[in-house]
Amino acid sequence: MSDAPTSPNTEAQTRVRFSPRRVWTLAMATVTQLVRMKILAFLVVFCLLAVGAGFAFSVINPEQQLNLLKSVTLGSLQIFSIVIGVVSTALLLPKDMEDRTLYTILSKPVPRFDYLLGKLIGVLLLIGGGLIVMDAVLSLILWLRQSMLFEDAVARMQMEKLDSPEAVAQVREIVARQGLTWNLHWAVWAIFLKATVVTTVALLLSSIASSTLFTIVITFCITIIGHGEALIREFFFQPNLSGMASRAATLVLAVICPDLAQFDIVDSVVSGEIVPWGAVYDMTGIAALYVTVYLFVTHLLFVEKEL
Amino acid sequence: MKRKLQAIAVLLAFGAVKLPLEQKITRDLRQQKMLEEPIHLGVGEDLGQAGLAASLGGLRGLAACMFHLRAHVEFTNVNWAKVDSLYKLVTRLQPRQARYWDEASWHMAYNAASYYLYNQELKPALRGQLYHDHIKRGIAILHEGLKFLPDDPRLWQKLGELHWHRSKDFKKSGDAFWNSFQHGGLGFTERFAAYAWAQSNDLESWKKGYAILKRLYDKSGPTPGLVEHLKMLEQNLNLPASQRIRAAAAVLRGQERQTGPLK
Repeated sequence: MSDAPTSPNTEAQTRVRFSPRRVWTLAMATVTQLVRMKILAFLVVFCLLAVGAGFAFSVINPEQQLNLLKSVTLGSLQIFSIVIGVVSTALLLPKDMEDRTLYTILSKPVPRFDYLLGKLIGVLLLIGGGLIVMDAVLSLILWLRQSMLFEDAVARMQMEKLDSPEAVAQVREIVARQGLTWNLHWAVWAIFLKATVVTTVALLLSSIASSTLFTIVITFCITIIGHGEALIREFFFQPNLSGMASRAATLVLAVICPDLAQFDIVDSVVSGEIVPWGAVYDMTGIAALYVTVYLFVTHLLFVEKEL
Repeated sequence: MKRKLQAIAVLLAFGAVKLPLEQKITRDLRQQKMLEEPIHLGVGEDLGQAGLAASLGGLRGLAACMFHLRAHVEFTNVNWAKVDSLYKLVTRLQPRQARYWDEASWHMAYNAASYYLYNQELKPALRGQLYHDHIKRGIAILHEGLKFLPDDPRLWQKLGELHWHRSKDFKKSGDAFWNSFQHGGLGFTERFAAYAWAQSNDLESWKKGYAILKRLYDKSGPTPGLVEHLKMLEQNLNLPASQRIRAAAAVLRGQERQTGPLK
């Protein structure tokens, strides 16, 4: 039986464990850092865009108008979330190194995993908060527009004496399907999940990259390939695929890139489809899996990185 | 170095595990109509769809909206060729949106066709030719849309209306209205299918139309349209007096003015 005394280093190592509180502090510091970069100015642009899309094109019919409002705003939400996720994540690590903040943090008993997780949660909080605000603005404008458009359409039909109960019911059904429903919020949730996966990929690349530009460019490339990953995968699974080179190339791409098209339910929501719970579980589950594995890989790479 | 190798190993192992999982989730989401089914229309078309999907990602709807607005501007400029090409792009971007197929067809078969018909600057023969060409184009657009959305009642209804009002092919009109009703279209599409069949030159269509109208007549009583078309069918089918309805025949209106050139 050995009675050797424990060294101070071993004691320190056993004391430094994963701490949610520490991660939260780091996340809040990241949010503050990003807010100071004036990233949230995008929200103002979004609000102007939503009002413009909602009220600018009065010549087209109610269905077109609501469809246009949803397509334009949900499309800009996707752009907002992915651009903010990639750019801010790519900027954070180099900026922390440049400001020497990284050394101050890691010289304290803060595990590198806590630092990475804090940064990721900080970026996701910012994206999530932005999406909630924009979702609220979109819902408000859609609700206002839908009531106005229905009344206008019925008044016009009455004027032209085309207001048969069937025709009015059809307009009501179209406006209700294209108007404000819970499905819209599930579309925003899907956008958030996609942004979360892309942000985690950016964090992974940022941990090995030597420049911010490299991280941004490669992450955008992976994002584009990720949207076509289903096609690549289906091509790989074709039984009669000829040539080892084609098979190897498709396999590499399919293995490396996440399938981002799984989160593309926006088009279905815009056309009035109802989002089932099963779809929400599937999307959330696969996103959680991507984030867990990519974050673990990031940790493996970052823990060995010489700073 | 050891950690880097571990990272690569984890990434590859995860890649191998995720492929069947992604395949399953994609299939489930497609079944739930959340994601679009892959579209197979020949090699060239497949490549186009794949390219669009990959390059635009989740922004196909947004891009379609932008081209749709441009098409509206070209419509106000009365540039029909441009309207057609822009709608072709819009429908390629969003092939499962019935609204775009409907509007593309409407622009060609009604707006463009009427524009050429009443254009005094063109020679009469050319006016008639362009009128019919654009009606055919409108019908072709709807048929193309129905390849993507074979169960869409709206597209079937629009095809029925187009054959009724423009090509005057009442058999096809009746078939299209009937398909609309079969796929969940509004109640009037069943009645309109029978009205269209009543005006066709096809014995089988008359029988189908009569069966529908007689059932509606027995169920809900006489209405002017119902009586008018039932009388027409009784005459066409040469039914004995005992089987004919009791309601008086509707007073026939004078022939409506022909809107297009005679075929």
